[in-house]
Amino acid sequence: MVTTLSPTPRTATARRRPTPWLTQRRRRQLAGLALVSPALLVVGIFFLIPLVMTFWMSLHDWPLLGEHRWVGLDNYTRALHDRNWLDSVMFTLKYTVFITPLLFVSGLALAVLVNRPGRPARVFQTVFFLPVVIGFAAAAYLWLYLAQPGIGPLSDLSVHAGLGTRESNWFSTSAGALVVVVLMVVWKVTGMQMILLLSGLQAIPAEITEAARIDGAGPWKSFVHIVLPLLRPTLALVLVFSVAGSLLAFDQFFIMTAGGPSNSTITAVYQIYRTSFINFDLGYGAALSAQLMIVLGAVSAVQMLLLRKTDFS
Amino acid sequence: MAVAAAVATALLGLAACGGDDENTSSATDEPVGTATLWARDNQKGFINLLTGAYNSSHEGKVKVSVVPTGSFVQKFGTAAASGSGPDIASIDLVYLPYFASKGVLDDLTAVQDELPWKDSLSEAHRKLAVYEGKTYALPFTAEASVTFYNKDLFTKAGLDPDKPPTSYAQMLDAARAIKKLGGGNYGFVMAGQCGGCNIFEFAPHVWASGGEVLSQDGRSAQFDSPEVTDALEFYRTLWQEGLMAPSSKTDSGATQGSTFQSGKIGMVNLGAFFVQTLAADHKIDFGVAPIVGKDGGTASFAGGDEIAVTAGAKNKAVAYDFVKWATDEQAQTILAENSIVPVRTDLVGSIYGTDDDRYQVLGESMSTGRTPYSVVENAIINDNNGPWATMINKAVFGGGDVKAAQAEAQKAAQAIIDAG
Repeated sequence: MVTTLSPTPRTATARRRPTPWLTQRRRRQLAGLALVSPALLVVGIFFLIPLVMTFWMSLHDWPLLGEHRWVGLDNYTRALHDRNWLDSVMFTLKYTVFITPLLFVSGLALAVLVNRPGRPARVFQTVFFLPVVIGFAAAAYLWLYLAQPGIGPLSDLSVHAGLGTRESNWFSTSAGALVVVVLMVVWKVTGMQMILLLSGLQAIPAEITEAARIDGAGPWKSFVHIVLPLLRPTLALVLVFSVAGSLLAFDQFFIMTAGGPSNSTITAVYQIYRTSFINFDLGYGAALSAQLMIVLGAVSAVQMLLLRKTDFS
Repeated sequence: MAVAAAVATALLGLAACGGDDENTSSATDEPVGTATLWARDNQKGFINLLTGAYNSSHEGKVKVSVVPTGSFVQKFGTAAASGSGPDIASIDLVYLPYFASKGVLDDLTAVQDELPWKDSLSEAHRKLAVYEGKTYALPFTAEASVTFYNKDLFTKAGLDPDKPPTSYAQMLDAARAIKKLGGGNYGFVMAGQCGGCNIFEFAPHVWASGGEVLSQDGRSAQFDSPEVTDALEFYRTLWQEGLMAPSSKTDSGATQGSTFQSGKIGMVNLGAFFVQTLAADHKIDFGVAPIVGKDGGTASFAGGDEIAVTAGAKNKAVAYDFVKWATDEQAQTILAENSIVPVRTDLVGSIYGTDDDRYQVLGESMSTGRTPYSVVENAIINDNNGPWATMINKAVFGGGDVKAAQAEAQKAAQAIIDAG
């Protein structure tokens, strides 16, 4: 026993001296790498490789069928003078500016409303959250029917409210179409924002608001000076989600307005879809996607920076 | 020695493979084995009946895959580009010039020449299948656009239900009379936000008046022709006088049929598929008339599908055999029995809708129908936000100048054509 065991420590020490690289630290690093490698693989295959391919395609004249040809940055310079693209970007920004505060205020209001103990609050929380569960396309079709002139229940309601006739077509002006789409999106997305903000509200320790109240702060003052500042990290998250989602808007307009009337409701992603899959110009579509991605990254980064320091407060 | 033998075997193997490929490519080869066919989901009703009949009477078999209508062009395009496409594809004829020009379809000139009835196949279909002198598909199913009118409303409005309008002026008079009935009745309905609908429904007005929307070779757009102006102004009058249903302005094609089915619409331009819908509905006593020109004359859009063999097809023998069979009397009769207009002008009178004279108008319209030829059809016409749809939407429903809308669309369409 002793003789068989004795060489093992000797060789081990002998081996450790010339090759001491497999230290405890290295071992843990390797284990860590092994553990994250599945995630890296997924990110690589489904995000990084397509990203690089998109960029590669954007440097080519790349039709759906047929030969592709290297054109360098031509697609990018073409986009700068493309009226259709610039119009769609402007419309997307307009939509984002319009809908972000609406979503935010309604989400926060609902979160404050349901932020109380008891069963009724849970019931309302569920009711407000239900539209989130429906798919975006299904919700768009639902509202398209609801607002259809002559047959939709919403036009019936509007007659009773004195807002129009049974035959008025809300999709016939770009403002009207935008309002119907925005109503649909608010109905659909507010519940999600409410849940996120609610979790932020519930993370605020009761002692702080209590202390503020003892110091004489009314409900409005304690909301503005205590709740909102402490909510900032959640606000950052909600705003980034909401702005990114609005900049990427597509299905609601594709289904409800088909870009009309007279192409006044075409979003950036809609334009990318048209370029790639109606005009079959994949290279140019890829260049437009790359531009949108840069804008999206920049907007998110700015928002993060603006709201970051509160993470340490 | 051993090495040489191995090389020889390998070469023989290669030669055998090559030979196999050539054999399956040949039209004269025995059609055995299975070929795959892609069709769209709106063909589900008849496509399996058709392949069923073929499979039970032939040694070769055809297997159908149904692809969603809305994404057929993209799916087929990507599959063809990556070599994973089907052997046979049923393709909307307006897309044929595009696919033929991109080299994804097999040359079927010789196959078509073998058909004894090739000269009685729909002329519009045959024209669309030709690219640079070669034929890339055979006519398969037909569709024609006509004017449907509500006979009850015509009677109520004091119009003769057996004398449908024959000019723009008469259509306007009929629409005004129907609107005058009140009660939410309208003279006309269209899909004002739909490019594909309006090449089918609106362009025949232009053709019937002697105009064009594209040149014969598809190399120049003619959106600014005076006949297009007349037709746009005709529709604008319908809209501005309140004779057109309000949904017309924003309909992307989803609701115009059901709006007519509500019984409150005098006239609508639609296709053969709608005869079946209305007949099954039993609610409306409807008439079918050809689409009219400004001062008379009639025209129709010849739509439908062609059937093609892909360039990368694995079983070309069965594919060739099937596409030939698809145009023969047995196959075309199956189509006719399922309310699809046949593409055989020599048979249409005897196999299609023989019990209902309303079908006869469709059969005749198909025989004389037209289809614009363009390799960029999808971008200039079918795109709901493209030049054609935008021009119609602006000119008919917008308050601005009709000619300015035409000029803008003309420029945009020509730019797309020139870019290829």
